[in-house]
Amino acid sequence: MDRELMAQTKNHNHGNTIVQDLGAATVKTIGNCGRFSRFQADSLVASVAACLRPETYPLIWNQMLAIGVKSVPVVMITGAFVGMVLAIEAFGQLSGLGFEEHLGVLINLSVVKELGPVLAAIMLAGRVGGALTAELGTMNVTEQILAVRSMGTDPIRYLVAPRLLACLLLTPILIVYADFLGVIGGYLISVPYLGINGRAYWALSASGVELWDITAGIAKGFFFGAAIAGVSCYKGFHCKEGAQGVGEACTEGFVGSFILILAIDFFLIVILKAIYESIWPIKLLL
Amino acid sequence: MQNEGIIELKGLTKRFGEIVVLNDISLTFEKGKTTVIIGPSGCGKTVLIKHIIVLLRPSGGEVYFHNQRIDNLDEKELGKVRTQMGFLFQSGALFDSMTVLENVAFPVRQHTQIKDPDKIDELVKMKLTLVGMDGFQNYYPARLSGGQRKRVALARAIALNPEVILYDEPTTGLDPIRADIINELILKTQKALGITSIVVTHDMGSACKIGDRIIMLHNGKVLVDGNADTIKNSTLPEVQRFIKGEVSEKDLEGLQVSFEDIKIDDKK
Repeated sequence: MDRELMAQTKNHNHGNTIVQDLGAATVKTIGNCGRFSRFQADSLVASVAACLRPETYPLIWNQMLAIGVKSVPVVMITGAFVGMVLAIEAFGQLSGLGFEEHLGVLINLSVVKELGPVLAAIMLAGRVGGALTAELGTMNVTEQILAVRSMGTDPIRYLVAPRLLACLLLTPILIVYADFLGVIGGYLISVPYLGINGRAYWALSASGVELWDITAGIAKGFFFGAAIAGVSCYKGFHCKEGAQGVGEACTEGFVGSFILILAIDFFLIVILKAIYESIWPIKLLL
Repeated sequence: MQNEGIIELKGLTKRFGEIVVLNDISLTFEKGKTTVIIGPSGCGKTVLIKHIIVLLRPSGGEVYFHNQRIDNLDEKELGKVRTQMGFLFQSGALFDSMTVLENVAFPVRQHTQIKDPDKIDELVKMKLTLVGMDGFQNYYPARLSGGQRKRVALARAIALNPEVILYDEPTTGLDPIRADIINELILKTQKALGITSIVVTHDMGSACKIGDRIIMLHNGKVLVDGNADTIKNSTLPEVQRFIKGEVSEKDLEGLQVSFEDIKIDDKK
């Protein structure tokens, strides 16, 4: 068994100096980065090819059902609570200043631009990403991925591409659900519960939230979806043996996706802000 | 006249870190014959057959299939080569999210133009009948016993009518009767379909029953290469110990030292 041999190899590496350990860790990190980049590049190529092969579509539909449709309730709950919590928190501060009617702008702008997309993506990283890593990780440790390869099928094309495409296409749609429920949740707390004037709430919201804000929030979904699927599938494909290996891969997959979502969000904000500011003068002229 | 070699290994070497698992192995596997590779656990048997289908790349040496070098091909080119080989994994490696029918149909759907569900059903039924598993089409692997899973995995391995089947410890974990069923299936597959079989096992009974040729690996090298009689008549102590299932003096000493240490520790 090659696993026994791997274990022997590991045991062979005892008694190294700090410099050797540091060097080995550096080489390992560079190797991991290379493997991750190559995996993502292969996944991208396989996904583009999958779009052009109609026989792959049933696999994509199946993943869309598992990843997208079944995530709708949790994403809607997340969105609703984000809107409601924002309303409660912001009301205290705005009412002190006499700006409570501006609560709608604050809630809706925060929900559609930032909190809706990011929190929905984090929820998906937990629900969908965890499931993807666990499924592929189990397939890996039970040699099912090796079996796919042994039958002459590319496992990235068969297993990763449909999952990546499903995540990529459905995360923006799920963000729409989160945004929608966030807006509803914010309204229900602000108007019926806190007694803010409904007409003023919507009028100020409409003037404060632009189509650009909604579009930017949804557009982030493509990147978040790709990050979730990319990290989770990679971790599943490269997990260590045994139940512990799969468990560790799931944890690392979620943490990796989480950090990547936040990092992508930061860079997208900077880029989208620059784009918005460059087109702002044109908008004023129009 | 010597039989045609279908697979050839030239100076095959595999290292995992500093450990040399396979050391300069050169072998030719004859077409239509059953070659059994035996040896103790951890001697590199599985690593060897994974090199034949290039699931592992060698650290040195070359692998040939039909006189074409295959160890240097990319994964896409290897895909075509692999469709001419079937691999039966030790655990079966059936897809647990698919039924038996879907498992056996998988390579057919992936690599043939057969799209008609009725024709696929018929083909799957034929393969399952060969391994005595017809009627289990709608079962999921979790509902099957270990022996049944291996039989379904064999049906999947022969779904594309490969020229070569690689068996990784096919009888491990099965009771003697179920193990003999697998042995019979290997013989039947080889005789009925003329398939070249390479079997990795540490079951001497199975090796003698199914093997036209038996190769024993030890410390990454070929220790003995011949038929069942060659192995049985070998005077090499490693071979005799393996046949009789006896532990070596060195291993025994190691165990006794350990127990004595434990006794001394307890007294303290």
